[in-house]
Amino acid sequence: MRHPNQATLALHAGGDLGKFARWKLERHLAKCDACAGEVAAYEATRDLVAGLDDIPEIPWNHLAAEMKANIRLGLAAGECVRAESPLRLPWFSTGRAAVACASILALIAAGIIVEGPKPAPLTVLAQPMVEATDNGIQLTSGGSTVGLMNRGVKSENVSYLPNAQGGISASYIDPSTGRLTVNTVYGQ
Amino acid sequence: MRLAVLGLLSVAVAPAQDGLLPKGSVGIIVPNDSPVVVISSSTDESRTALRGAALMLDLHMSLTLRNVGVNRIHGITLRVVSQEVTIGGKASVAMPSLNIGPGEVFPVRIDAQLMRPTQMSAGPLVEVSLDGVLFQDLSFYGPDRLNSRRIMTAMEKEAQRDRDHFKRILAQGAPALQQAILASMNRQAERPRLDVRVIPHGPAVTSAATAAPEQAQKFAFLQIPDSPVQPVQGWAMVSGNEARAPRIEVKNNSSKAVKYVELGWLVRDPSGKQYMAASLPASDANLYLPAGKSAQVQQETQLTFSRERKPVNVQGMTGFVSQVEFADGTVWVPTRENLSRVMLDKVVPPSAEEQRLTEIYRTRGLNGLVEELKKF
Repeated sequence: MRHPNQATLALHAGGDLGKFARWKLERHLAKCDACAGEVAAYEATRDLVAGLDDIPEIPWNHLAAEMKANIRLGLAAGECVRAESPLRLPWFSTGRAAVACASILALIAAGIIVEGPKPAPLTVLAQPMVEATDNGIQLTSGGSTVGLMNRGVKSENVSYLPNAQGGISASYIDPSTGRLTVNTVYGQ
Repeated sequence: MRLAVLGLLSVAVAPAQDGLLPKGSVGIIVPNDSPVVVISSSTDESRTALRGAALMLDLHMSLTLRNVGVNRIHGITLRVVSQEVTIGGKASVAMPSLNIGPGEVFPVRIDAQLMRPTQMSAGPLVEVSLDGVLFQDLSFYGPDRLNSRRIMTAMEKEAQRDRDHFKRILAQGAPALQQAILASMNRQAERPRLDVRVIPHGPAVTSAATAAPEQAQKFAFLQIPDSPVQPVQGWAMVSGNEARAPRIEVKNNSSKAVKYVELGWLVRDPSGKQYMAASLPASDANLYLPAGKSAQVQQETQLTFSRERKPVNVQGMTGFVSQVEFADGTVWVPTRENLSRVMLDKVVPPSAEEQRLTEIYRTRGLNGLVEELKKF
């Protein structure tokens, strides 16, 4: 059985597959527990990602306007302090100025924290993967595939040996040459 | 409605763009001083096709090579690289167990499939180049970018071992040889097999996020009596039917320095059945293990096991040393007797040569097999 690639499974989990492809894949999923499990895992990941988006709306424009206003207020206050003695403006005491500056700093800090780098959303990377198929070995990576085929050989007459370095070898007698052939596909 | 029209257009256009392989799509590189030359090459049966936005290349290539050197050729490896460099993958087609004399010609066949999401661009889509030639005296020619020297030398050592084994049996009479080869065929048919998916760098997001939690599982070891290197301890991370990041400490018990170690990795399912999961090569390309010293064999790969489309959970793991290359370039492989002594002959795949000899018996009968053994 030929399994669909990870990108197709991920698209299906997200409901982004076309009608025909979805119908075709659903037929496969009905028979293949492994792929159905993969789709379930993608769906679980998708729900998790969706949950991350549930950050409450923040009125950025309002916040920015408020920050600008406060900064202008601070600057104006500074001008006032320079121009006249603070004693003549009792409503603008040193303590109040300090509170105003602290508020501005707090607003800036909050802005930096909220606007700063957000945690990266969970994404399923297109990992290279090597596997034996019905008639050969195939490397899949990012929507591309490269494979070596065992043409004209029954799969029970092919000896597959995975390699923990990231590849798979298939050895068989090539019917067209009569020679022993060892195909290897390396994932890295 | 628009979708339906587009669908029909796609169906109508796609076959029109199917066709023969454009000239220059496959490059063949053989150095001028190579002991083999290309006599002829054909890609007549090859096809390209557009499937949606993807380009599909179905390559069927026949090469005829001639041995223009003075030594008998016992193995050859061709490197096959796709133009799609971003995929990071490569492939090889090797022919071990050859016996090609000077001046003789021999065929090589390459069947490859390539699918990528972009249109065809300039330059060859696939490049086939010579990676190495192994001679009867185990000398080697070639750039060896895929470690073909070591791989083919180990195959040749196994081939010599297995030919000698069957020749010794032949010395007892043809019926004894027939019995031995039938036993080999039975072993090959009964050997439990696993389907294994390999993810070279381990998972970014595990597909088993909802499965059993991952845990470090220890390896048990089979000590092969004459092995120059012994496994000491090791483990891998296991979760259900997935295993990754194996690490095994090995010790050089021989008197010679070692530059490569490869282990066999067996897994046991909950019913107690053992399978050959993978070979586990040393990851360090510059490994140098002096006599008496220890080193660690490790990989970051993740393997996923299944059988008949059902996950096979890993209940236990066993390791054994399957290949050692010494610093002087000589290679050690286990003897058949020692493989049998630790019951590995029923689990590990047959050597490429044993596979070839049984196929000769299957197609040419006992007399054909006897004739073949006499050639070496």
